Amino acid sequence: MESSYETVVIGGGVVGNSIAYHLSERYQEGILVLDKKYPMTGTSGSTQAWVWVHNKTPSWYAEFSMYSAELYPYLSKKIGDVEYKRTGGLSPFFAEKDREKAKQLADSYRKIGIKIKVLSREEVLEKEPSINPNVAGATYSSIDGNVNPFRLIDMYMRAAKKNGVQYSTYNKVTSIEKQNGTFMVTSDKKTYVCKNLILAGGTWSRELGNLLGIDIPVNQLRGQIIVTEPLKPFLNYTISGLRQAINGEVLIGYSMEKAGFDRSTTLDVIQETANMAVHYVPSLRKAKIVRAFSGIRAMPEDGFPILGKVPGHENLYVAATHSGVTLSPLIGTLLTELILDGETSVPIDRYSLSRFA
Amino acid sequence: MDKTTIICRCEEINCEEIEEAIGHDARTFDDIKRLTRCGMGPCQAKICISLVADVIHEQTGSHLHEIPLPRMRMPISPIKLETLATNSTTFSSVKSVMDEVELEEGKVR
Repeated sequence: MESSYETVVIGGGVVGNSIAYHLSERYQEGILVLDKKYPMTGTSGSTQAWVWVHNKTPSWYAEFSMYSAELYPYLSKKIGDVEYKRTGGLSPFFAEKDREKAKQLADSYRKIGIKIKVLSREEVLEKEPSINPNVAGATYSSIDGNVNPFRLIDMYMRAAKKNGVQYSTYNKVTSIEKQNGTFMVTSDKKTYVCKNLILAGGTWSRELGNLLGIDIPVNQLRGQIIVTEPLKPFLNYTISGLRQAINGEVLIGYSMEKAGFDRSTTLDVIQETANMAVHYVPSLRKAKIVRAFSGIRAMPEDGFPILGKVPGHENLYVAATHSGVTLSPLIGTLLTELILDGETSVPIDRYSLSRFA
Repeated sequence: MDKTTIICRCEEINCEEIEEAIGHDARTFDDIKRLTRCGMGPCQAKICISLVADVIHEQTGSHLHEIPLPRMRMPISPIKLETLATNSTTFSSVKSVMDEVELEEGKVR
């Protein structure tokens, strides 16, 4: 393997892989992706993988998510079948007081071109007959959906490799130095020299930044999920909290805990998750669960993506975000534009690391 | 084992598919699982665990004791959701997406 590259991407999760793939569409040589373990070991392999736009606030962030969701059909054409389904997304509410909030949401989204419907109880039950008949209503958006995260990352990697991208896995970066305008990236296996360096460390972004003396304020937020046995197809929509995969299994969970890097599953949260499942979809009572798992979200301090150039460091870029599955097609596209053209087709100034300074 | 030998009965994954994953630098059971679905079915790797370790050993030369075990998770053996549910509708760690929508002076931010 070479030791000199045009661009090194640190992090082979959904974000790093998307950047590497999109870069490789423009130039075929000199791209290396480093992963401390193997892609999907971390966050990107432990997610329900909704491609989710509606209910994201403020509306400018929803708009950013929408542009990414819009890229998915085209992406699947390019890299292959990633089991992307634009099912439409349903967020049920059970208290009448939430209807006003739902209407406010719909109003503010209409201005940016995202259509959300506020459904009555009858309309929800018509769309999704399995929902608890005590539901008060739901917000609905047709742009939401889901994807198979394993297929997504595998296909990103295959397409990138076909375009000449090299991967080195089980190869943790231990130090980074800047010398004469190039970066020297030392890892468990080797020292690499590169012109452009992209930090896509996800949950480990803070640690990665420390190697360069940069503060990348990303924290960890645990989510726990339960998986049922394959059931007959019966859920029509991606429901905020659960969704049915193509093979019939239902993934359930929407929990948030500050637990650092601890990926345990815990009985209390799993029980709460089971309660949510039977509260939303009562017929799931009789479904068997085969597994529980937990994943750690990469959560920037203010909740929004950190994207773009690292201020004061030429040719150094960062991409650290939660909702990496939803945002990966757009982030890959925009970082490629930024690196090769110096500007992006969708503004990302708002997401600069400089906002934390 | 030949290429068509079924390694994972639950998900019907054969030896050739495991070898292909190793060809893409997968080194542990869990790497292979995420690429192929091997071990993701109802038995949760109880049947294929040692067969996969054999294939990793053959392909990479790693000794069996160096190959990490897959991560086992509850419930180990399938159980019904109603067994876990306590029927409470009070949630703390589990959130509702609607609750996360932030209003400022009665308007969405």
